[in-house]
This record gives sequence, structure tokens and C-alpha cells, in this order.
Amino acid sequence: MFADESGKLRRALVTLPHSDRGSRAVFYPSQHHWGVVGTPELTKVRRAAILTLREFSTHPAPAKGGQIEITSDIPRGIGMGSSTSDVTATIRAVADYHGVPLSREEVGRLAVLAECASDSIMIDDRVVLFAHRDGVVLETLGHRLPPMIVVGCDTEPGARVDTLGLQPADYDDREIGAFGVLRAALRRAVATDDVDLVGRVATASSRINQRFLPKEQLEELLALCLGYHGCGVQVAHSGTVAGLIFDARRPDATPGALRCAETIEGMGLVITAMIGLPAGTVATTTVSATEKVPA
Amino acid sequence: MGIRTSFSEATEAYQLPRIVQLGPNLYAAAFMLMKMVPARYILRRAADEGRLEPGTVIVETTSGTFGLALAMQGVHLDRRVILVSDPAIDERLHRRMADLGTVVERVSPEAAKIAGGYQAARLNRVREIMAEQVSAFCPEQYSNPDNPRSYAAVSELLLETLGQVDCVVGPVGSGGSMCGTVGYLRAVLPECRAIGVDTHGSVVFGQPEGDRELRGLGMGLMPANVDHTTFDDVHWCTAPAAYAATRQLHQRHALFMGPTSGAAYLVARWWARQNPSALTVVLLPDEGHRYLDLLYHDAWLAERGYLGLAHPVEPTPIDDPTRLGDGWLSYEWGRRRYDEVVGVAA
Repeated sequence: MFADESGKLRRALVTLPHSDRGSRAVFYPSQHHWGVVGTPELTKVRRAAILTLREFSTHPAPAKGGQIEITSDIPRGIGMGSSTSDVTATIRAVADYHGVPLSREEVGRLAVLAECASDSIMIDDRVVLFAHRDGVVLETLGHRLPPMIVVGCDTEPGARVDTLGLQPADYDDREIGAFGVLRAALRRAVATDDVDLVGRVATASSRINQRFLPKEQLEELLALCLGYHGCGVQVAHSGTVAGLIFDARRPDATPGALRCAETIEGMGLVITAMIGLPAGTVATTTVSATEKVPA
Repeated sequence: MGIRTSFSEATEAYQLPRIVQLGPNLYAAAFMLMKMVPARYILRRAADEGRLEPGTVIVETTSGTFGLALAMQGVHLDRRVILVSDPAIDERLHRRMADLGTVVERVSPEAAKIAGGYQAARLNRVREIMAEQVSAFCPEQYSNPDNPRSYAAVSELLLETLGQVDCVVGPVGSGGSMCGTVGYLRAVLPECRAIGVDTHGSVVFGQPEGDRELRGLGMGLMPANVDHTTFDDVHWCTAPAAYAATRQLHQRHALFMGPTSGAAYLVARWWARQNPSALTVVLLPDEGHRYLDLLYHDAWLAERGYLGLAHPVEPTPIDDPTRLGDGWLSYEWGRRRYDEVVGVAA
């Protein structure tokens, strides 16, 4: 919970971007059929497409409806933002068909309309504190996050968290006060490229979240991370993933991250991501995270 | 991102400290009027929650700067403020409060001839006044959890300005500023050290109650807002040493502060020198105007035999905080509860 300019408290988050993974949405327009067809599990995607089509109803040649195809390499239901990724790709695909670019903020607003709560991955040109249930940017914290290596893991392999099924966390006054302090610290961390401070803020936020969606291994993962000169641990507040943060500029960051990944697998957890490793460090298959429309 | 904008009201401009570097690893958080932080927060929150109706009178027992802060915020909120004080209230402060439209009642020496003395007599009078009003609100700075909570704003400023804070040194009265500021800093910096500065004759850290010369520091009754587990170390300072340090703060750094600031500076300066790699912040609660004719006046110091005194350059460590001592003392509190240290509940 963070105060906006008027002092009103809004739920908000800062998203850790993961540019190696993504969703691709293909929009097949139809001039005949109203409505949007897609596979049944993609309710949010259909809603996003319909909302975006409505935005273009005054366009000279609007599509009436159509079909959406999603391909994504983001694991679902563990807090890696898979649905926001699908929804964002869908909104951009429909907009692209109409040849009208939507602003990042506009995409963010539509995404929240479609799925009630969104990450801020569509605002990809800066670091923002994003009111994920209102679809507005509360604050631009800076241009970009400092260079980090993040070892992501699933703390409950097999479990699934439904963002919308979660009761929004009922933060107390003390926690709300602490969030203001985290916001100020992150502002400085981004402005001064301070990964240590980013890590401390992430750790503090993770600990606050323990009361609501606990990660049993949080302190163990933190000790592991700090033991390899890492900076802290971030968690999904509506998911089971956690990420160990390292300062990519330190020479021991890559070996430390790789050793941590081994230990984490030894704990029986599943590695979900290795973000920011120098090219060629490990063999990974990367999938383009762009969202394109067909000709 | 932010262009500079105006403050919406004077009390907003008053509340946050200026962060000033005093040495390689020592920074001051210099407040004009630190008590504005809780006073403004508590009253604005009460107003937001509908507890300050147009006719509601704000009543509090105080003879110090918390009263001044309430009086100032009362102007913005257009609410009457009644403060209950003892006869020792500073005349300059009283005049300022009166000019702000605040009523200051002083309990008589006769009324204070009860168990608990002036403090009890003042609380009784507050209850009487509240009962007489149709609607009254008492901020209760010593027990209201909004007091420490209000200092989150100070922690935000410190973290944004400095990033790392290894140690905070500050005077302890109600407990709000130290417990609040350090408590919130520790959300991000759990190892941040807290050094509380108290004075002889104050019960806060276990001393027997006694006469206290140093105004604004130390308490005769234990405030509920002191969370003893905040503190790593406690120091007790004497009045003349605090006065001398207050003057040095002015002479060396041009910071014109009151004697509680001097006491905190004395301890912080020593600690920062002992720990050159630790970034240390000292809380300086208010300005020196009220003390111009007192500690800032050499003749006044000379009358008391304080002028030119040689003061210790370091504290004497003690192992029992409940024993009466003299001079500058320090004790390793170790973030324990009061009863863990003193052996009985506060």
C-alpha cells in the first residue's frame, strides 16, 4: 500500500522484468463475427481483446471480432506474470492490427481492466511503482534497474496460485509505514545503481509478505544468497517464485549465482529463471518476448 | 520527476529535518521542531477519521514542544487547543502558544501535592477538562502508537538521502522518535544500531527517579511508547556536559539547537569517531531560541559553575543501570526488554 499524490493509499508493486521469456499473441481479425475466440483457459486474454477492440470502435476499419492465439514460455500460476504477459501481448496485437500505437500507460490501463490486477511489464522504458489494481503509475523511480543477476526458483513445485482467488493482503499500519520506507530506499537504489539496496528492499518486502503468502524457505534462500555475496531475495506476492539477487558488476556474481542454483535444486526446488547471466555462461533456450501480428 | 513545489501549510514545512554532514561518517538530522512530526500526524489522522469535529477541543498535558506543535496545527485545523502544564513552563514558549490562540493552564503547586506530583495533577486536570467539553480529543503522545508510527517519514528521508545508516543516536523522552525512526529503518537495515541518550534521574532505562536539570530529556514516569527492545546502548549525560556540547555544535557546525540535541551530539560524536566505518546519524530535536538567555549565555553558565568545566571525552561503561551514578555513563542494553535488564516490569 502506497500513498498517491493526493495521499490516498493504493496497492502497488515494482515488477522485476525478465526479458528472456515472453508471450506472443497472434490476432486473426474478423469482419463478420462479433466476439473473440480463443482457447477456454484464456478468459483474461479474450477480455483484453474485446476491451481493446472497443477502444478502436471509431476506427475507419475496425475489426468486429477475431481469434487470438497465444504462445508463451512463461510458467503459469507461479507468480511470473504469465497472464499479464499474455494480456499485454494481446492488447498490443489488436492495436497493431489497427495501426494505432497505444501508449504504455494505455496498455497498462487496459490490462488491469481485463485482468483486475497486472504487473507493469508493459511499461518497459523505466522503473515504476505501479498501482496494479488501478492501472496507474504512482511514481517513476528511475530509468532502469541496476545490472543484476537473478536466480529464480519455484518454492512450491506443483502448487498454483490464482491471483484473483487471493484475498488482497490486509496490511496493518506498521506495514504500510514500512512500505513508504521501502519506496524511498528503492528510489535511491535506482538513482544510484545500488544493487545492495535493491536487494535489501526486496528482502524487506518479501518478509512483510510472509504473513500473507509465506515462502517456507525464505530465510534459508536469503542466507544462501548472502553467503555467496548476493544482495537479497525477491518473491512473488501472488505466486510461489522467489529470486536471489546478485550485483552483476561483481566478479564473483556469476559463479555465486550458479552455485546457488545448484544448491537450490539440491533443496528440491525448481529453477525457473537465470536472469542477467553473461552471454554464453550456460546453455539456455531463449524465446523472443515480442508480440507480433500477422500480415 | 519532481519539480520543487510549495508546502500546503507551515506545519508541513516545519516537520522534516535537514540532513547535514558533520563529519566523515556523522550526519545530523536537524529538526526545527521535531514534535511536529507526531503532532501533525496524530491530529491529521484524527481529522481524517472524523474524531475532530468542528467543535472538538484538543486537550493535552505538556509543557514543552509537543504543545507548541499542537498549537500550530490547531491553527491550520481551526480547533481550540487547551494545554495543561506546570508552573515551570518556559515563558517564551507560553507566549508563543498564547499567540496561536492556545489556552495554557498551569496546575497549582497545591494541586500537585498528591502522589505522582505534577505529572499526576496534570493528568487529572486533563480528564476534568475533557469531561467539561461536549467533544474533546487527547493526542496522548506518551501512549498513542501513532507517535512512533509518524516517524516513518523521517526514516524515508534518511534512507533516500543516505542509503545506508549503521547507527542512530538520539535523545529519548516519549520514545516516539527513536523507536519509530529506528524501527522503520530496520525494515530495510535490520542491523542498524540504536543508541538512546537519557539523563540521570530519569526512569526510562532503570534509574531511580530524581531531579533532572536537563529539560526535555528523561521522564519521571515510564512512557508506553518506549519500546526498550529498540536500543543497543544507552548513555546518561549530565546537564553541564550537554550544555557544553550544545555550544560546540553551534560553534563548530553553526547548528543552533537546544540542549537535548547537545546531549545526543556528545554521544554521537564519540561513537562516530570510535567507529569510523559506520555511518552515524544523530537526531537533533529542536532549535536553541528558548535557551539564548540560558546555556547560550556565558554569565548564566558561570553562575552555575559550568563555565570552563573540563568534561570527560568518553563515557564510563557501567554494568547496572539501576545504580545511581555520576558523569557520562554508558550501558550495553542489547535490545532487551525492560524487565530483562532491570529484573522487574516497568
